[in-house]
Amino acid sequence: MNLFEWMGKIISQYWLQFLKGTGNTLLMAIIGTLVGFLIGLAIAMVRTIPVRETDSGFRRAVMRAVNWILSAYVEVVRGTPMMVQALIIHYSLFVVVGMPSLLSAIIIISFNTGAYMAEIVRGGIISIDRGQFEGAHAIGMSHAQTMVHVILPQAIRNIMPSIGNEFVVNIKDSSVLSVIAVTELMFVSKQAGGAYAKFVPAYIICAIVYFILTFTVTRILRYLEKKMDGSSSYTICGSQSDPGAEIHIKREEA
Amino acid sequence: MEQQVNTQPDAPILELSHLGKKFGDNVVLRDISFTVRAGEVISVIGSSGSGKSTMLRCINLLETPTLGNIYYRGQDIQTGNIPLTAYRAKVGMVFQQFNLFGNMNVLANCVRPQQIVLGRTREDATDRAMEYLEKVGMAAYINARPAQLSGGQKQRVAIARTLAMNPDVILFDEPTSALDPEMVGGVLDVMRDLAESGMTMIVVTHEMAFARDVSNRVIFMDGGVIAEEGTPTEVFQNPREARTREFLSRFLGNN
Ligand SMILES: Nc1ncnc2c1ncn2[C@@H]1O[C@H](COP(=O)(O)OP(=O)(O)O)[C@@H](O)[C@H]1O
Ligand SMILES: [Mg+2]
Repeated sequence: MNLFEWMGKIISQYWLQFLKGTGNTLLMAIIGTLVGFLIGLAIAMVRTIPVRETDSGFRRAVMRAVNWILSAYVEVVRGTPMMVQALIIHYSLFVVVGMPSLLSAIIIISFNTGAYMAEIVRGGIISIDRGQFEGAHAIGMSHAQTMVHVILPQAIRNIMPSIGNEFVVNIKDSSVLSVIAVTELMFVSKQAGGAYAKFVPAYIICAIVYFILTFTVTRILRYLEKKMDGSSSYTICGSQSDPGAEIHIKREEA
Repeated sequence: MEQQVNTQPDAPILELSHLGKKFGDNVVLRDISFTVRAGEVISVIGSSGSGKSTMLRCINLLETPTLGNIYYRGQDIQTGNIPLTAYRAKVGMVFQQFNLFGNMNVLANCVRPQQIVLGRTREDATDRAMEYLEKVGMAAYINARPAQLSGGQKQRVAIARTLAMNPDVILFDEPTSALDPEMVGGVLDVMRDLAESGMTMIVVTHEMAFARDVSNRVIFMDGGVIAEEGTPTEVFQNPREARTREFLSRFLGNN
């Protein structure tokens, strides 16, 4: 049998497993990206709380300790491979408490993504010019109100491409979690290939599915970004009597 | 449900007492004292780097003074007796760079802060916002985003946003310095109307005609201190200090 015949045979025998593997891969990537984003958002918000000279010594000490712990988390997670993290954490902790490997995998990928997202969100926050913080503070908004109502909406819009990128990375990088026996795409491919001792056709199928996933997701994200930007013109009020008289002013280059 | 600030009715709106500010070892403000009463328009002039912005920023605590006190209606604002956010809502600030919120259109820029800080309803806040947007001539642009406006338009929206909070006093930090020359007039007209309507204002400005014609009092700052203070006539026509004369001749000579 040639390569294509082998691929056909593997698909006809294992399509259900591939489907399940694809589902689990997507599940891990989606939840991991969402939870990771929330973790990153929380960390970035804490790390950008201003510490003023006039704050009490206790408050400053607490802030310094919290910041130290958070940067340690970010550094350690980013400085070690997710596969190694998965092996250590799953076999030392999660197996002991009887955690199913899919759940382990989702937790690991979430915390991993969180460390990257923390830096992405922080970059998004500090890219908003200081003037808007001051404008909000000067009008009486608290730091939290300023963040929620003014800064984060703009920061999140600006980092949408990076968030999408993390999602695509998670689709691919969740493959390393096959080491803790999650039945995701990679794991399924290895099994299917092993059954016939024909790994190359199995992994080609695997690659094709990954590519379809990432390609589709990239297109969808790009479309959503365009929609989020909204209209690039506005209507001068008071010109409704003559729709032809509406003045459209083009968005300035930002 | 407006936040109430505890006030003594007959006290001056603001009183600065021996205010000082250091950045590290760099002394930027020294022994700044003056009083602001209701309806006064005070112009602050002085060359770049003399500490004008730092003084305004200290007044609404964007910077923390290192010495001295600031009293709002008789109450020391640094003791925490007045909630910081309520105080800031009462002391509006208009910046050189406008500082509008980029994620909100013109109307939302004026409405949302009222809802967030003062707890006003959307309807109430919208009515007030429209009133002030009309006053500054920007009511037609409520749907525009800040990035779609000219500098002069942005500054007029920023003034409306501040007014909508119903402040007792507004601090202006060189409100026309970032504008194209043809935009300056419109913003100054709005400020002139405000002054005539009795708004209390402290205006840091290089517009000497405005300082001379609109203000009740002129403060000349030099090297972090108040070098001279008086009525516009006193300061512009009979300056006592040599450095005031030198500054004015440099400034008015060019115009
Ligand atoms: N955040 C800061 N840190 C250190 N120095 C500052 C800071 N802000 C202002 N300064 C210094 O304080 C002095 C006064 O600045 P500023 O109040 O902006 O003057 P002006 O508004 O009159 O031009 C300048 O020498 C400036 O360099
Ligand atoms: Mg300045």
